[in-house]
Amino acid sequence: MPKSDLVSGAVLLAFGIAMLAFVIPTQTSEGGDASISPALLPQICAVGITGLAGLLIVGAAGRLRRGRAAGLHVPRSEWYSAAAVVAFVASAIAVFVAAGPAFAGVLLILGPMLYMGERRWWLLLGLPAALLTGVWFLFYRVLGTAIH
Amino acid sequence: MDTLLPVLGAAFSPGNLAWIFLGVTLGYLVGALPGLGKGTATAVAIPLTFYLSPLAAIAFLVGIAKGSTAGSAVSAILLNTPGEPSSTPTAMAGYPLARAGQAQKALKMGLFASVIGDLFSTLVLILVAQELAEYALGIGPVELTGILAFSMVFIAGLSGHSMIKGLVAGLFGILVSCVGLEVETGSPRLTFGLIELYDGLPLIPVAIGMLALSEMMIQVGQRRRLEEEADLLGGSGERADRIVTGADWRRCIRPIARGSLIGTVIGILPGLGASVGSFLSYGAERRASGRGRDFEEKGAIEGVAAAESADNAVVPASLVPLFAIGIPGSVIAAILIGAFTIQGITPGPLLFLENRDLILGVYMSMIAASLILLLVGYFGQNIFARIVRVSPALVMPVVIFLCAVGAYLQGGGVFGIGVMALFGVIGFLSKKYDFSFVTFLIGFVIGPSFELSLRQTLGLVTGPAELLDHPVALAFGALTVVGVWRLTVLQRRQTEAMIAGRGPAG
Repeated sequence: MPKSDLVSGAVLLAFGIAMLAFVIPTQTSEGGDASISPALLPQICAVGITGLAGLLIVGAAGRLRRGRAAGLHVPRSEWYSAAAVVAFVASAIAVFVAAGPAFAGVLLILGPMLYMGERRWWLLLGLPAALLTGVWFLFYRVLGTAIH
Repeated sequence: MDTLLPVLGAAFSPGNLAWIFLGVTLGYLVGALPGLGKGTATAVAIPLTFYLSPLAAIAFLVGIAKGSTAGSAVSAILLNTPGEPSSTPTAMAGYPLARAGQAQKALKMGLFASVIGDLFSTLVLILVAQELAEYALGIGPVELTGILAFSMVFIAGLSGHSMIKGLVAGLFGILVSCVGLEVETGSPRLTFGLIELYDGLPLIPVAIGMLALSEMMIQVGQRRRLEEEADLLGGSGERADRIVTGADWRRCIRPIARGSLIGTVIGILPGLGASVGSFLSYGAERRASGRGRDFEEKGAIEGVAAAESADNAVVPASLVPLFAIGIPGSVIAAILIGAFTIQGITPGPLLFLENRDLILGVYMSMIAASLILLLVGYFGQNIFARIVRVSPALVMPVVIFLCAVGAYLQGGGVFGIGVMALFGVIGFLSKKYDFSFVTFLIGFVIGPSFELSLRQTLGLVTGPAELLDHPVALAFGALTVVGVWRLTVLQRRQTEAMIAGRGPAG
């Protein structure tokens, strides 16, 4: 039985409380001579999110008590694919810093291709080469901007 | 006339027309690919506009938005895979026609309906936006606060299935917009000591993450389904099945007129979006025809015409609140704010005073884009029909790569890619758990204006009695309360009806 509304409500409630209790007080100044505190709008938003999260939890709990689904089910394959895309982007950032943009670009194109089952060698070689050449030509030659 | 001629010259210059052509073609191409829509196409293309003149930049992006909206009919009709939710009615009425060998007829009528709806809506935008902006110029901060609060509630209530989740998304968007140096004092706020955050979170990486990267996360997980659907594509039949005949026009002209009107009205209202427009128009035509289930079982060219005309009419009309009041009523409008900002232009009522030539040029470019859309769609139909068969294993990596390039260029380097990845995850979660990403983005975009007008309001109004001097603000405040109540009741009824129809879920 999907309990996602209950879980997302709890996460949002914790987020709202954390914002109100820790993050906003430590990450916003008093404002000095300002007529209105800089923390006002973040506090309004955090109070709103906390209150609405509470309502979401109450509603979801009520539906679950009546034997109804509360929320949506996300297939496992979509979690895996989301994690894979994030991993490719994170790895590309690390490679960018360590080895430069070309290697990061190759990783960002080849990773998803291999993950999605592409095994034709000429496409695995050709697509990254064509894309990187195209981007290099557009930015370095046509627009005169370097990526470094 | 003296001012109009240079504007016409700039709008119809070969350079500007070339950018519009490129935008429409790219948009059509991306729209035709299953799983990709106008949000993805426009967000990824924004960084390119940094190097263009303001007119060419906006014309290029509008071309992409128009092209991708019309292009999504290709995968809907040929593969039964709508590029975005608003093309679902097109798939329902058009895919059975494709299976009956009338794919080209359906594609052509879909294109003609798209162009007519788009052109009609563009003309309405031209006629209405300036008039509305003149009224908007008289609006003070108190009234603006009321209008922005009402817009957020309206958008939150209509862009998802849950009012509570919509409001959470909108508030989260405003909260995220608070990151950076505070307007009045200039002190850092929610920056965690990171200098990169002092200017706030960059809009483009946030938009690319929320719209495009999150969509890739979902689509990569559905690769098998997309490949199987691409394999189902069949060929077309005889000549009569490939052309739009006079009889087809007689059947479709009324649905197109109705769809254009519905799409335009829906587009002007912030937050409703193209899906509401196309479903309403399709439903109205289905009822009017009296054919009922035949529409989905045998296909209906008038169903395609009704859905496509409304779908495409929404895009130009959704720019009315953006140009007139500065409130983005749709994802495209929110992204266009980023493009305007890059060019140093603030959308809103002053646009017609400070950038009159630009706005006239944009209008002319939008009309040109409608006509170019007709040419690109008509002559490129066979090419686009082949492109929809390209394996997602080739398309998705290209889009992910372009997302990263765009975020890098507009987000201050690698930091921008990190922001994109973070908001990609947030976008994925919000799409999967029905927290409207549209409301989040609009909250994020209007957050600074809302804070400024709220501050001014709190300075001007020191007690409840003083609100009586601002009847417009009071009216919008009352509408906000009534909106929350009515939309919550409506959604609860819909949910109860859905559960009753489905039975207890496990």
